[in-house]
Amino acid sequence: MANLNIDSVKDRTFDAIVIGSGMSGGWAAKEFTDKGLKTLILERGRDVKHIKDYPTTNMYPWEFEHRGQLPMAIQEANPIVNRCYAFGESAAHFFVKDAEHPYIQDKPFDWIRGYQVGGKSLLWARQTQRWSDFDFEGPARDGFAVDWPIRYKDIAPWYSYVEKFAGISGNRDGIAELPDGEFLPAFPLNTVEEYFSKHVKSNYKNRYVISARCAHLSTPNQIHLDQGRVQCQRRTICERGCPFGGYFSANASTIPWALKSGHATLRPFSVVESIIYDDKLGKATGVRVIDTNTKEAIEYHAKVIFVNAAALNTNLILLNSKSHRFPNGLGNDSGVLGKYVAFHNYSAHIGAQYDGAKEWTTDGRNPAGGGYIPRFRNVYKQETDFLRGYASGFSAYRYPERSWDGVGSSLKNNLANKELGPWHVGSHMMGETIPKETNFVSLDDKQKDAWGVPLLKMNVDYDDNDEKMKKDYIEQLTEMFTSAGFTNIQASTDQRAPGLDIHEMGGARMGNDPKTSILNKWNQVHSVKNVFVTDGASMTSTSCQNPSLTYMAFTARAADYAMSEMKKGNL
Amino acid sequence: MDRRTVIKNLALIIGGAALLPACSQDKAKSKVALKNIDISADQEQLIGEVSETIIPKTTTPGAKDLLLHLFVLKMVDDCYKKEDQQAFVAGGSHFADAVQKQYGKTFDQLDAKTRELFLLDIEKEIQAEMLEAAKRDSATVPRFVGKYSAETRKFYSMVKRQTINGYTNSKYFMTNIVVYELVPGRYNARFPYKLKQAV
Repeated sequence: MANLNIDSVKDRTFDAIVIGSGMSGGWAAKEFTDKGLKTLILERGRDVKHIKDYPTTNMYPWEFEHRGQLPMAIQEANPIVNRCYAFGESAAHFFVKDAEHPYIQDKPFDWIRGYQVGGKSLLWARQTQRWSDFDFEGPARDGFAVDWPIRYKDIAPWYSYVEKFAGISGNRDGIAELPDGEFLPAFPLNTVEEYFSKHVKSNYKNRYVISARCAHLSTPNQIHLDQGRVQCQRRTICERGCPFGGYFSANASTIPWALKSGHATLRPFSVVESIIYDDKLGKATGVRVIDTNTKEAIEYHAKVIFVNAAALNTNLILLNSKSHRFPNGLGNDSGVLGKYVAFHNYSAHIGAQYDGAKEWTTDGRNPAGGGYIPRFRNVYKQETDFLRGYASGFSAYRYPERSWDGVGSSLKNNLANKELGPWHVGSHMMGETIPKETNFVSLDDKQKDAWGVPLLKMNVDYDDNDEKMKKDYIEQLTEMFTSAGFTNIQASTDQRAPGLDIHEMGGARMGNDPKTSILNKWNQVHSVKNVFVTDGASMTSTSCQNPSLTYMAFTARAADYAMSEMKKGNL
Repeated sequence: MDRRTVIKNLALIIGGAALLPACSQDKAKSKVALKNIDISADQEQLIGEVSETIIPKTTTPGAKDLLLHLFVLKMVDDCYKKEDQQAFVAGGSHFADAVQKQYGKTFDQLDAKTRELFLLDIEKEIQAEMLEAAKRDSATVPRFVGKYSAETRKFYSMVKRQTINGYTNSKYFMTNIVVYELVPGRYNARFPYKLKQAV
């Protein structure tokens, strides 16, 4: 252990340590520093400063050397991340390259990562829906996973709290399975999306097509201006980083907010090797960090530690935090750490054409991406032969039909054609997968990464439930499309590996019973009270709604609880 | 089967083909710095003429004005698999030979109309090939045999695809023909549209 200089221990001691600076870590940092706690934010990747470090953000399409496409050498060197839709010439610098951070695929798993300040919050698709009691009560009712230790009423005020600060656009739709929130004005549905919405509402019970709810400032409030963010400019090139702060990212919002307080220390290039547990004190005393530039090992200390490294890396850190008391990983008395990993199933799509509404089009761009169909299967009762259900995206669009046939001036005329073709409609499935003990991650006992941390091994797969659900999605959407008068309907599935949805969850799940879960209802490790996990690793089940908003709400709630416990002297 | 799959399958069968020597006497190198493919000044000129035939100068700029042939070379050099690059280089020679055989002249000695007819003839064959491939199971390799070699068709497909890609993504096109806005600032979900208004 290098440089464990006694004089500097004081400099390396904080009130709180937050591991990770992305979607949830940014919130922990903000909450602690708002209350004046001296907080260390650890990030394994490089620093990315809002605006300053968005090198492509103001580039025109013709300014990209390959017009957006990545050179073949980069694609071939990165077969995993190359499968991600956003890995292109304009945003490749925010993605982890395959060779730099290896892992072991005992079963195929496309692990898409962003190692930098802000993490994947620079790259997300910004869809934000609350989860409801149909999700939190699901496991207890349907008999999968374990019962959630909380209900919607526990988290609802915290959804409101984070929504107001992050800025969420949407309509108050009054749908029980998709609770309303503190919304900025929604981005409206276009003519054909609206048509389909009305059609579905009048022809189906409990099925809705609503305007997608998203983390964009359609109309900013004062709190957003105070963060230095302004109105979303409808550029829809968000994955480059937004100079307007038009969408929520840790880089534009929580991290600079925490730094402005004067109470935060941000330390990039810091891989957390493990959490240090003191057998005598019976609690964690700090974390062991490897500086990625110098390979130096450094220990930092704090009263409370928040683990927000992103679901699977959080599992890795906990599994690698071994002590006399916890030989199988921190807080792992139950042996379930790393198990019950689940994800979302995005592997089915459907497209069609609509020959009506030709007198309408759209102008500008919609950052919400169109419509959202909340889960309608097995909501009020179990009605199919598979557990849980799926939400769906839905959008309609028109574009000029430009034939590439021929050569010469006729081709030039075709390419310049501004006349629009018919409306096209499309949908993709967003299915819930069931957490199972057989879906797990573990540490390899031999192979280590460049910083001496064991490699993570993936054993996560689809099952029969996913196949049945996929089939049902295609049947139901085909029927809804047909009855709406859409034509040329084409459904397709792809053979993607788990992970590509970028919604991996679980492994350190919450639960009432320490024998079957790692965290209690406050996201607090059952047996190590001063360690909290509030990212995707803590999810007991996965819902079919996007998870980021829920991570934010859990984090703010857990930070508030941790601070009140600190005040009482309980941590 | 879509165009991409056809091209991929073509690449599979062409992959093993030997690289044919370029039939150029002028060994001067291409003007663009290339890392992976070896292109002579003659071949570069041929690509320039083919690109210019695809997107000619009219009252508006053509391929040469917009340096699209150099863009084609850059894309082939950087963004294609090795086997596609090899087929492209061989295909350039096959293409030149086919012109010579059919007209007894080089491509740049042909008048503009004849150049177009020659390209359209190859294009007709590519479409026939795609039609045939679409009828088959996608796992099987197309067995299409035509007047032009598979390499010639591949060469032409790549030049055409990247000429159009370069053209429709050029600053000229995106500021004059379609106007690309980096910052639209607005989203009108219900915007009136009159048929034919745009023409």
